[in-house]
Amino acid sequence: MLRPFELSEPTSVAEASELLARHGDAARIYAGGTELILAMKEGLVHYEHLVNVKTIPGLAGVRLDAGTLRLGAATSHRALERDPLVRQHFPAVARMEADVANVRVREVGTLGGNLCFAEPHADPGTLLQVFDATARIEKKGSARTIPLEGLFVGPFETCLEGDELLTEIVVPPLPSRSAAAYLKFGFLERPSVGVAVAVTLDDGHVADARIAVGCVGPVPRRMREAEAELRGKPRTETGAALATAGRIAGRAADAITDLHGSAEYKEHLVGVLLRRAWDQALAAIDGSPRR
Amino acid sequence: MAADRLTVVGRAVPRLDARDKVTGAARYVSDLALPGLAHARVWRSPVPHARIIETLTERAAAAPGVLAVCAAADLPVKRLYFGPAYRDQPILAHEVIRYAGEPVVAVVADTERHAQAALALVDVRYEELPAATSAEQALAANASLIHPEIERAGHFRDLSGLRPIPGTNVCQHYAYQRGDLAHALEDADLVVEGVYRYPALSHHALEPHCVVARVDGDGLTVWATTQHPFPVRRELADVFDLPLAAVQVVVPLIGGAFGGKCYTKTEPLAAALAARVRRPVRLALSMEENARTITRHAVSVVIKTAVTRDGTLLARECDVVLDTGAYADIGPRVATKAGYRAPGPYRIPTLRIDAKCVYTNNVPAGAYRGYGVPQVTWAGESQMDVIAERLGLDPLALRLKNLLKRGEEYVAGDTPIDGDLAEGLEQTARAVGWTAPLARGRGRGLACAMKDGGGTHSTSTAIVRINADGSVDVLAGSVEAGQGIRTALAQITAETLGVPFASVVVAAPDTSVTPYDWGTSASRSTTIMGLAVQEAARDAREQVLALAAPLLDAEASMLTIRDGAITRDDRTMTVAEVISGHYGLVGGEVAGVGSFVPGKSSGSLGGATVFWESGMGAAEVEVDRETGAIELLKYISAADVGQAINPRECAAQDEGAAMQGIGPALFEARVNDAGQLLNPGLIDYRVPAFTDLPPTLETVLIENADGPGPFGAKGVGESGTFCVAPAIGSALTQATGVRLTELPMTPERVWRALRDAERGSLPPTLK
Amino acid sequence: MKEIAMTVIVNGDKHDLTVPPHETLIECLRDRLGLLGVKKSCDVQVCGTCTVLLDDRPVSACTVLAFEARGRSVRTIEGLARGDDLHPVQAAFVEHGALQCGFCTPGMIMATVALINENPRPTADEVKHYMRGNICRCTGYKRILEAILDASRRMSGASAGNGR
Repeated sequence: MLRPFELSEPTSVAEASELLARHGDAARIYAGGTELILAMKEGLVHYEHLVNVKTIPGLAGVRLDAGTLRLGAATSHRALERDPLVRQHFPAVARMEADVANVRVREVGTLGGNLCFAEPHADPGTLLQVFDATARIEKKGSARTIPLEGLFVGPFETCLEGDELLTEIVVPPLPSRSAAAYLKFGFLERPSVGVAVAVTLDDGHVADARIAVGCVGPVPRRMREAEAELRGKPRTETGAALATAGRIAGRAADAITDLHGSAEYKEHLVGVLLRRAWDQALAAIDGSPRR
Repeated sequence: MAADRLTVVGRAVPRLDARDKVTGAARYVSDLALPGLAHARVWRSPVPHARIIETLTERAAAAPGVLAVCAAADLPVKRLYFGPAYRDQPILAHEVIRYAGEPVVAVVADTERHAQAALALVDVRYEELPAATSAEQALAANASLIHPEIERAGHFRDLSGLRPIPGTNVCQHYAYQRGDLAHALEDADLVVEGVYRYPALSHHALEPHCVVARVDGDGLTVWATTQHPFPVRRELADVFDLPLAAVQVVVPLIGGAFGGKCYTKTEPLAAALAARVRRPVRLALSMEENARTITRHAVSVVIKTAVTRDGTLLARECDVVLDTGAYADIGPRVATKAGYRAPGPYRIPTLRIDAKCVYTNNVPAGAYRGYGVPQVTWAGESQMDVIAERLGLDPLALRLKNLLKRGEEYVAGDTPIDGDLAEGLEQTARAVGWTAPLARGRGRGLACAMKDGGGTHSTSTAIVRINADGSVDVLAGSVEAGQGIRTALAQITAETLGVPFASVVVAAPDTSVTPYDWGTSASRSTTIMGLAVQEAARDAREQVLALAAPLLDAEASMLTIRDGAITRDDRTMTVAEVISGHYGLVGGEVAGVGSFVPGKSSGSLGGATVFWESGMGAAEVEVDRETGAIELLKYISAADVGQAINPRECAAQDEGAAMQGIGPALFEARVNDAGQLLNPGLIDYRVPAFTDLPPTLETVLIENADGPGPFGAKGVGESGTFCVAPAIGSALTQATGVRLTELPMTPERVWRALRDAERGSLPPTLK
Repeated sequence: MKEIAMTVIVNGDKHDLTVPPHETLIECLRDRLGLLGVKKSCDVQVCGTCTVLLDDRPVSACTVLAFEARGRSVRTIEGLARGDDLHPVQAAFVEHGALQCGFCTPGMIMATVALINENPRPTADEVKHYMRGNICRCTGYKRILEAILDASRRMSGASAGNGR
């Protein structure tokens, strides 16, 4: 059962930031609550003061701005899953969102809440990184934008200062002749391994390869050393490079052995999912002349 | 009565409780509201083994809304210990903590929130002791005794001959031998040996345990999520030193059980707290607490089979070890049954069986659907396929050759086989397409198993009351946990009496109203309670016809009731008219009573098996070699039900049972680390979900009207769990060449086995 | 601690309530409004037993806070049938034997109503995906799937867009 707490309902980012500053560690941002309320119910954490950000106008919503996707942090997973703009222009994101948790969590849970709770066994943080997504972080009187990768510091830990809020996630479009894909694997309720790729082709060669791995280690992150294995290769000769990239990414993922499986198995799965996601991305490029 | 003349038995009539359940009107124990209801919460041990130094409860007792904080010494009980086999389990931990999660202190408050808040103020000082957290550890030569002394409970006749091994943690040792083992091994052309492991499971019925207890004057009323209202009544009577008649146990609908709600669990604690605070008390567990209350036995089986070149089984040795946790619960019976059932449904002249029920510092293990059969069948049927591989025989042919036939004895003195096992297996094989070509990367497996169904030495009594308006009340103590027993009993009553199904109401079990019933478990209720109800209905019918005879100027023996009316020539009287006519008012009733009394035999269990519950299963899988994931494409299950009282509910039960077997086959298991349960709740304990439904899941009902129950019925509901794991295991082997011996067959385990086989670090599967 | 005054429509009935922020929707529905058809099971949003519709969207009543329903409409299992007439989903569950112990049933039915409302003729795979978060320990899901497909057929045949 939840212990009592006070609720504030600010109507601006500045007000929210002020409340966070005032209450310090006793306060927490509350959006969908699908992870926070759960943790509070289980007695894992308690906050005397919750700051409801759903009452801040403009914090939820999907906009396409010259091809760039601008996602309000308080946008629900379900809204992203079903949004026509997301589905049309960033289909991999819509597909990933459609598979987050279950439909009830998706209805209520928000993208921003998911990213800020920083539960390692999650999906969005992994895929969005291969788009070079950025996070807009605001507090009273100032704002900063960081690569999304920089948000994640450790399990359940972000780089947000005590009085800061994540307000927007900005997802630039991939270049033409590109596609992204996200695959995950698991047999428990939460995913065990998640691998995202974004591939750009140019004249039969891999112009760019972006790889991110999540769920396995403490934070989701880009695997730049693995990406280098693939850049520049002719697309028909990526077999060995994919295998090497998979090994590099697997090791770099800092896998731990837990209920989801052994570190060794997770590393192996990274390689498998990388190759399969790669094939999926290439098929999407081939099947879609616009990209 | 010939099947084609049945009018309601054998029909898929809608469930009596369906409307209530789909409209939200169905009421369960946790929906009960009583004036003055107080709420209890329990402080549980964080460690698996410790000596309690002191319990500090003053701070909690002073918290807002708290009515009482109790440790063992504070409970107003005459007996602190309870248990169906041994009285080894204290209501609250007493001097020693024996498992992580064991209740140590209970808080009662005016609201749940106040009780929860006060719980955080309870402090228990303890000194940790070394813990035995596996059966192997508990069996080690230097293992300390978890229960230096144990007292037999004396509740159940079949448990009067318990055989613990003194000076060890073995609380029950079942052994059986026949034939000449040395000769059989000599005569064999092939002897195969293997070790198989089955994990501990959590029942995770969606309704967690809940008890509401109220002390009234000299008596006690308890509403409980229990499958065993009468044994619980007996236990409570002992705990409080009350006569049985002063203890009332009421069971409304319960939200799933699967054995997890068998025998006594949290009822004594709720009752003791109610006595202490002199207010009704509700003790509602969370799902995580449920997982720390009762489990399925983790079992290891060492099995050895001797066979001739043509596949004739000569001998089988089964050494079965069950981890029963810190308290025996019904473990001794599970161990006995697991041993008894380990050989499988085959003709095997020579047997050596040894089953040990072992105390450990884990959560207690007890009844779980299948009752030992899934665990031993995982071993026995996997080994049958190893034999088939080694001899180059078709696994179906190997089984058909050795399956017991109708009329043959399984064990001398026990009821002979009462079904056509071969028919069931052949139908199952046909349904899965056993001989059809297989695509690459795919495999098929099949298995069969049986249990002595119906319970041992059990009894049930029922009353059928025909009211003055012709409607009928059935008083039967069988608990409706979803299996459809109330509907089945109503069908049996309507058919036997000759009244419309819609006129029959089946009461909820209430030990003050419904007559004695041994319990709702062991697949016994359709058969045994069904027979009691049928006899009661016949009794009532005879009485009505005797009343009708003079009114219709006929011999009673010439009259029948059909559709609630009795006709003679051109005169018709309804049952209501007969009863009212007899009493001379719209009142009075006719009540019939019926009973089932247990049989006796010289079989090794000491009680005649009521019927053989047999099940078959066949699976087709596709394996993703890179991830190790097994995709179940088809699962066929066959259940011999004798006569389906309600064919839809029989099939539905079997499908559910199969899914409950798919879980542990592929992904479901408790993870226990040094006595700590790492996955108590559903986030980390994977139960089957919608996405686990294979494209084809089918049940075949075998109906030969050859059961002892009403209209030739046998019991149903457990056999679907028996064969899933070995069928999938052998399908995996056919698809990939590897065989796993430990469940669940998670993707990682499959992947490792494939990798080891490729590297040559495993000997070829044909061992 | 400040309580929140709110108006909420539950199964078509308007309620004026004052709730503390920490009260969950299931506590509000069961303990305040007596809607005992909303069942509590895993309490961690996984099993779907407590599924209710919030403005026609399926949510876990165990984890959604009660005040979030202010100014909105909530539908529970008790709000489906019209008098003696069962909702087509309820009727399909009964006919297909898609329930046994019944504890998951209210949540399962509410999730189904939401699914069909959004996707009037789902395929079997779409049903399995949408319903993945509603656990049943008794039935093995086969009959639930059949009931859902049958209900969707009947409902789209009966009349389009009647919003039931």
